[in-house]
Amino acid sequence: MSATWRVHGLSVEGYRHRQSGVPCQDAWGQAVSDAVTVLAVADGAGSRSRSDEGSRLAVDLATEHFARRAAEPCPPGEAACTLLADAFRAVCKEFLHRTGGEAYDFATTLTVVVLTPAWLGHLSVGDGFVVLRAGRGRDGERLFHLLPQPAAVSEYSNETVFLTSPGAEDRVSTACVLDDGVDGVLLSTDGLAQAALGGRPPVPNASFTSAVLRSLDIPGADPEEDEDDLAALLRSDRLTALNGDDKTLLRAVRT
Amino acid sequence: MRNERQPKTLPASYADIEFENNAQRLPLVLCLDTSSSMAGAPIQALNDALHAWTRELHDDVSLSYSVEVAVVTFGGHGVCAWRGAQPLPPQTPVSPFVPAHAFQAPVLGAAGVTLLTEALELAVRVVAARKTELRASGLQYYRPQICLVTDGLPTDGTGHWTNAWQRLVPMLTDDQQARKYRLYAIGVGDISDMGEQVLRALAPNFNARLHGFPFRELLQMMSASANAEQRGAGDEVFEKIFARFRTQRPAWEA
Repeated sequence: MSATWRVHGLSVEGYRHRQSGVPCQDAWGQAVSDAVTVLAVADGAGSRSRSDEGSRLAVDLATEHFARRAAEPCPPGEAACTLLADAFRAVCKEFLHRTGGEAYDFATTLTVVVLTPAWLGHLSVGDGFVVLRAGRGRDGERLFHLLPQPAAVSEYSNETVFLTSPGAEDRVSTACVLDDGVDGVLLSTDGLAQAALGGRPPVPNASFTSAVLRSLDIPGADPEEDEDDLAALLRSDRLTALNGDDKTLLRAVRT
Repeated sequence: MRNERQPKTLPASYADIEFENNAQRLPLVLCLDTSSSMAGAPIQALNDALHAWTRELHDDVSLSYSVEVAVVTFGGHGVCAWRGAQPLPPQTPVSPFVPAHAFQAPVLGAAGVTLLTEALELAVRVVAARKTELRASGLQYYRPQICLVTDGLPTDGTGHWTNAWQRLVPMLTDDQQARKYRLYAIGVGDISDMGEQVLRALAPNFNARLHGFPFRELLQMMSASANAEQRGAGDEVFEKIFARFRTQRPAWEA
């Protein structure tokens, strides 16, 4: 199976931010080297004044630090999880250093996926989520898998843990996936949780996930048109009715 | 940017996506005084405001699938939960919550006694039951809002003033500290000093005594708070919205 990935990311401001002229507080980023691809999404806290800058900074730091560490060969399993946790600590340290005493105003979640030839690493703080496409069901249909998320911090869906929260390191979820059948990855902030997931416990909405990965598997002739279509989906009334937050979709498919 | 259009329908390339209505829910209870002192112009003003607010909710793309409205009234001979325009029989297992996009305002009449205590108990009970239902169906939710509106003093079933409401204070205090819901207690019309004291004890954070019957502004304040809840605003934002309402200035968004 190919070791190269086609990646596309998009953040759009949510309905309420659009109405009030507030900038999008989500961000996404990627870092691609010969062997490793790092994908990151972040959701700046709605209640904090500079969270749009916070999410951007978190994504920039994450792509840099995770890519640097993952460039060295590392066995899967515990060693990979340690690598992810170390990279996260480095991100937090630099984030706090750069934001100084104002870190609170920059609060953001962070979700990272590291794609190496040997394993797929996942680290998340807050309510971002990752869905993988791997394997087929009995009728040949593609199967989708939600990676484990950190435990919820409260009964309310708009309360979560941020990179800057006290004890954030203990509320991180990390995973190392060993399955070379993974040929599609989707990262998102919680703005798409209701569209992309459903049920209890939550499972991926296969019709949503397959549609948004399909459009990257088989891109149209005009990339701008493809992006317009995806932006129109994310801004549609149907999705806004499910969640009025900013929305981010970062996709990767094997080429 | 080219892609800034906001379509009502899905683009053709994504038209096959199937969505469930699993929007994050925001239960909102209007706990309304419909006792005899509300008869005439006040109840008419309340009905008109409910009607207009319902239309606004239907048109609000971010609230219409998220907010769920239940109405509890206290007047006549007792308390009544309404599922939209339909009064529910007492002790019914049917939930009074209706998604905002499907909510129809009841047409309320005014008569009888002021069983405020029992009504607030019922409001708290239906909120707890709804949370249990939402959790069981795997739906996420925001902190609920309960809005108590009265123009008088709590009475018993014979119309005599009662201090039975005091039994609610420990529970309401604990619940509000545990952030189980936000409780708003609004006095309107000719509510007395003593009536105001009751509201202050029930809802220390969000109580007000207003001149006249500004139901329209009151319901708009509930929508503004629901919006703030959805965007994860801090307590100071709710306090600001409420302070504006108390002084009856209409600029909710600023």
